[in-house]
Amino acid sequence: MKRLLPLLLLFFLFEKDAFQQTTPAVKDTFDFYEMSLEQLLQMKAHGVPSELEELINSLILAASKRPLTARESPGIVTLITDEEIRNSGARDLIDVLRLVPGIDFGVDVEGVVGIGTRGLWAHEGKILLLIDGQEMNEPLFGINNFGNHFPVDQIKKIEVVRGPGSAIYGGFAEYGVINIITKSATDLPGVSLSGTAGQMRTSMGRRNFNLSAGKQSKDFQFTLGAFLGQGTRSDQDYTDIYGNSYNMAGNSNLDPLHLNTAIAYKGFSARWIMDYYETTVRDGYDIIKSEPYPINYTSHFTELKYSGQIGKKKKLTITPKLNMKSQTPWETIWDLDTVAEDYSKSVQRYTANISASYNLTRKINFIAGAEVYQDKAQDNSNDSSFFSNGEKEVKYFNQAYFIQALAKTRFVNFIAGARMDIHNVYGHAFVPRVGLTKKIKKTHFKILYSNSFRAPTIENINLSTEISPELTQVFEVEAGYQITRKSLLTANFFDIITKDPIIYFFDDSLQTDNYYNYGGAGSRGLEVEYRMRDKWGYLIFNYSNYSVAGKEKSLDYEVPDNPSMLLAFPTHKANFNLNIKAGKYLSISPTLSYIGERYGYTGIDSTGTSVIEKFPSLLLANIFVNVSGFAKGLTVGIGCYDILDSKYKFIQPYNGYHAPLPGPSREFLFKITYEVKNEKTKKP
Amino acid sequence: MNRLWKYSLLAAFFLMLLLGRSEKVHSQNVDYKAYTLFLYNFMKYVEWPTTEGDFIIGVVGESPIKKELQELGKTKKAKGRKIVVINITNPTDALLCSMVYIPSSKSSELKALKEKLQGKSVLVVAEREGLAKKGAAISFVIDDDDALKFDINKSVLDAHSLKIAGTLIKLGFLVG
Repeated sequence: MKRLLPLLLLFFLFEKDAFQQTTPAVKDTFDFYEMSLEQLLQMKAHGVPSELEELINSLILAASKRPLTARESPGIVTLITDEEIRNSGARDLIDVLRLVPGIDFGVDVEGVVGIGTRGLWAHEGKILLLIDGQEMNEPLFGINNFGNHFPVDQIKKIEVVRGPGSAIYGGFAEYGVINIITKSATDLPGVSLSGTAGQMRTSMGRRNFNLSAGKQSKDFQFTLGAFLGQGTRSDQDYTDIYGNSYNMAGNSNLDPLHLNTAIAYKGFSARWIMDYYETTVRDGYDIIKSEPYPINYTSHFTELKYSGQIGKKKKLTITPKLNMKSQTPWETIWDLDTVAEDYSKSVQRYTANISASYNLTRKINFIAGAEVYQDKAQDNSNDSSFFSNGEKEVKYFNQAYFIQALAKTRFVNFIAGARMDIHNVYGHAFVPRVGLTKKIKKTHFKILYSNSFRAPTIENINLSTEISPELTQVFEVEAGYQITRKSLLTANFFDIITKDPIIYFFDDSLQTDNYYNYGGAGSRGLEVEYRMRDKWGYLIFNYSNYSVAGKEKSLDYEVPDNPSMLLAFPTHKANFNLNIKAGKYLSISPTLSYIGERYGYTGIDSTGTSVIEKFPSLLLANIFVNVSGFAKGLTVGIGCYDILDSKYKFIQPYNGYHAPLPGPSREFLFKITYEVKNEKTKKP
Repeated sequence: MNRLWKYSLLAAFFLMLLLGRSEKVHSQNVDYKAYTLFLYNFMKYVEWPTTEGDFIIGVVGESPIKKELQELGKTKKAKGRKIVVINITNPTDALLCSMVYIPSSKSSELKALKEKLQGKSVLVVAEREGLAKKGAAISFVIDDDDALKFDINKSVLDAHSLKIAGTLIKLGFLVG
């Protein structure tokens, strides 16, 4: 089998048919050559792109702040479109991002589900989540809480940079960037209303409502998105490491409210986002609580931005922007101290950023800029807790400088950049990066080397005596081959080395939480993806693998007697995403995720030692059907997530005494969308 | 990962490659019909001092564009002049032409053609980007989104007594 494999691969890639050119469809020569000059500008050098080519040639911003196609962008990038999200019936970002190679989820504490990548736990400030340029990661611990949280119906596209992004984005992008771009007035039909209802085996899964509206008038644009919901993490039983249980229905509420509004006029834009995420939990840190209690996450974001081109030839673009965000995460105010400790801290971050982009020639571009921000944190609780400065308020200050050069030549695109952050407490972090990319006819390649860092957050600084940024080096190589006009195969290899990771530990003797830099971390692996897109629909298959063999590991993250894997995350994962258009009004989308074996701590033995358990591989199978056309503007979707009722659990990726948290049981979904088209906002 | 899963995944993967290969057309090739359309518009919007005789287009070496130009010549004329397409095998052949097209693979021929065509009313169009700065009158540009554009070197046009309409200049990028 092993010997046959490379031969089979060669057969498919180099068989004669693969090189056969067909005569382009005969066009009406008379009409074609009498095109107007305006129509001439629409001509493409390589003809009318296939649907796949349109997708893979679309411009990506996240990996370089300069639009480049996905195949030439200096990052390992996955592009997720609103079509894929809509067709799959994805309930939330967990469903969307689980289909990305290398991305997985685990439980932290107190019902919080966080993200991991390439085998590594990336929950605390290691993957940057952006919504329309606003950093969702809260500054206290750097986390994002996933699960019926962010409105997937408002998403136009997601650019997932499956690799480091600190050279552009700073200290929360050590392992990756998830850049969510919501629909603007030019994307929206007028007003779009949608409602989603999900029913798990024994309880309501979710009841969500979304409204999106947009209006465009000459140079002015207004966009509004409103999302309100009620959801449940799971209706399964949760059992802590001591054997205590409760049923999660009614004890694991996930209730979001998300408003996103923006205006734009010529080069000026303003955005305001409000995000309230009310959760109910009972799992605590280790032992379950006697009753559920609320933990709320509140965020406000405001941005003012201007982008102006300077000079006759408009080679220089200057973009100043001001951002203010105010976040109160993990807010626990509960009367009964026996249930949970009060925790209420707020942070305001004020950021001023200016960047300049200069096109020296059509092929050479420079970007440079500077950013300053101030974090101001308050301890709002009435108890005697305070920050490490002995006060109820603390301020930190950070300045950053960044530069990037991009040169496109006939043989290779060359990109080099660096960012320097200087913080008034943890010192500085300098992260350079360099990359070579090129698409030549059917093939493309990328060779990337980046440094990145994870900035210590407010609570990391607060709960340590001395802390530094953790520094990471990543080497990535990608190769791709467009087998036909409708199919593309890509494979990439990565190697991650992290030095001085910021580790949490609980001091039993002092009964205090602590953070410190210790040891190392990292992984290496392979990710493969195959995409096919045609008039009948599309097919996406990906496989990802990681290994930590030979890498430094922290005891709390490793699997005893298994040197190649870490807790919670499978070394093998595969996804299958299919969409079939059955006629003009019906589409059927099955999705499958194969999740390989995982390990997690599930209990303690009589000596108080944690007991590890192997979780067998499982298959998450889903199906969603969309029907439209039977009434104007109306689309109905029905489906089922986790058809096989696999009883999936989120495992804690470190030995923190939290038992695996059950995910949703089999959930039946019903979704209805109604769109009212505004004739004036139709695309030209 | 147990063997059954491994082999199932491999089988599914190869099945998908098979399905993907049902499409015979290979990955995106250069659309020379689009390039020919542009050349036809250059013929329409550039003025030559002489309007007599055939409009001869010389293609340097072999290129798929020759076939497209011959198709064009079957149904269209260049301001009333019959379009004839010839192969240029040496720079002297270019003296017969009203327009010379240099395919990307023959870009190195530009220098010799420049010397030969000094002062002659021949429009030299190069396929490869950047050659308008090196002596071609017009060279094509492929934008990031695959849009086909062109650079214009007006100094070169003036030196060859060729006049270009303002409407065409607006569509391209002036590099000289």
